[in-house]
Amino acid sequence: MNEEQIRKLLQEADATARRPVFGPIAAGKIRQRVHRRRAVRSGALAAAAVIVVASAVLWAICMQRQKPRPEQQRIVSLETQVKQLQAQTNATLKLVQEVLDRDRQDRHLASLEAELSSIPEPLIEIERQVDKTAFLLVYQADKLYAELNQTDSAVEAYKEVIQLFPKNRWADVARERLSQIEKRQINQSDKQGETRCRPGTA
Amino acid sequence: MSAMAKMSEEQALVERFRRGDDSAFDRIVERHSAELAAVANRLLGWPGDVDDVVQDVFVAAFTSLRTFRGQCSLRTWLFTIVINKCRSRRFRRRLRLVRVKDLEAVAGLDHGGDKAAIDEEQSARVRRAVQILPQKYREVVVLRYLQGLEIAEICELLGMRVNGVQVRLNRARKRLKESLDNLLEEKS
Repeated sequence: MNEEQIRKLLQEADATARRPVFGPIAAGKIRQRVHRRRAVRSGALAAAAVIVVASAVLWAICMQRQKPRPEQQRIVSLETQVKQLQAQTNATLKLVQEVLDRDRQDRHLASLEAELSSIPEPLIEIERQVDKTAFLLVYQADKLYAELNQTDSAVEAYKEVIQLFPKNRWADVARERLSQIEKRQINQSDKQGETRCRPGTA
Repeated sequence: MSAMAKMSEEQALVERFRRGDDSAFDRIVERHSAELAAVANRLLGWPGDVDDVVQDVFVAAFTSLRTFRGQCSLRTWLFTIVINKCRSRRFRRRLRLVRVKDLEAVAGLDHGGDKAAIDEEQSARVRRAVQILPQKYREVVVLRYLQGLEIAEICELLGMRVNGVQVRLNRARKRLKESLDNLLEEKS
């Protein structure tokens, strides 16, 4: 059997076979099928993408709920260390602040004490002022008596000193002056009496 | 119409389709659907109903016609799609059914009857011999002897070298000869 015989046989068999049956093919129908297929494909892709994303999210959540990874553990331990260091630093800073406050208070107290110590004793001061006043009165009285010959005013002043400052040393001085004045007045009156008694002096 | 004029007209149709002219695709369908249906019918073992296959072919063509580069003729390109669609279809089961039907039909024939009945029986045997060929041999036999394509065209369609196609044709012929020897003797 040669090639030509085979060809002939095949063509005869084909000629007697069923003719192909197919409906009218419209381009519109084809386009519809293409669009439908694309829609189905894109829908399937979107669904697959959603499933993949959801699976990834679930997986991530599960992994997070399980044990933390070494990096996470390291991060957690580092965070703890940092917190501890922060607490220590805060405590040290607080201590330093307290020491500084104490030092400031001490210095303030020392300055106050120094200021207080510079203030004189009030009683001594009063006594000094009293002494000074008494001296001044005695000094003025001396001046009245010795320089201005105002004996009465001087006596008044000495008496005032004695009255006002009886225990002061200048009161003693005033008393002494008064006695001297009295003595001098007595002497003077004595001398005046003698002269009156003398006939020639009258 | 010369081959060159036909090719340029097809190229023009493709260009029109690319520009969005829907009538161009209508024209392509109109021009090629019958031939593509015949090829599909032969490749699938003469089942008769090839509507689904032809529609699938045109859907694939519509989807990828914009990427058609024109390196071969549109007819060859569509033939390639038909071959691929026929390959991908799970047709073995249907073929088996057809074979059984054919056998039953052959068995039911009255061998002592008229000449037409005898011829029909012989044709059925020939078709069965083609159907039972392995796919790779069936393809070259159909394209060469029934579709009448040149060896070069078959090479282009199947992506093979000339030697490869010729080897397949020789082997297919040998198998057909083995199957149809009795028939030839009877005829002679």
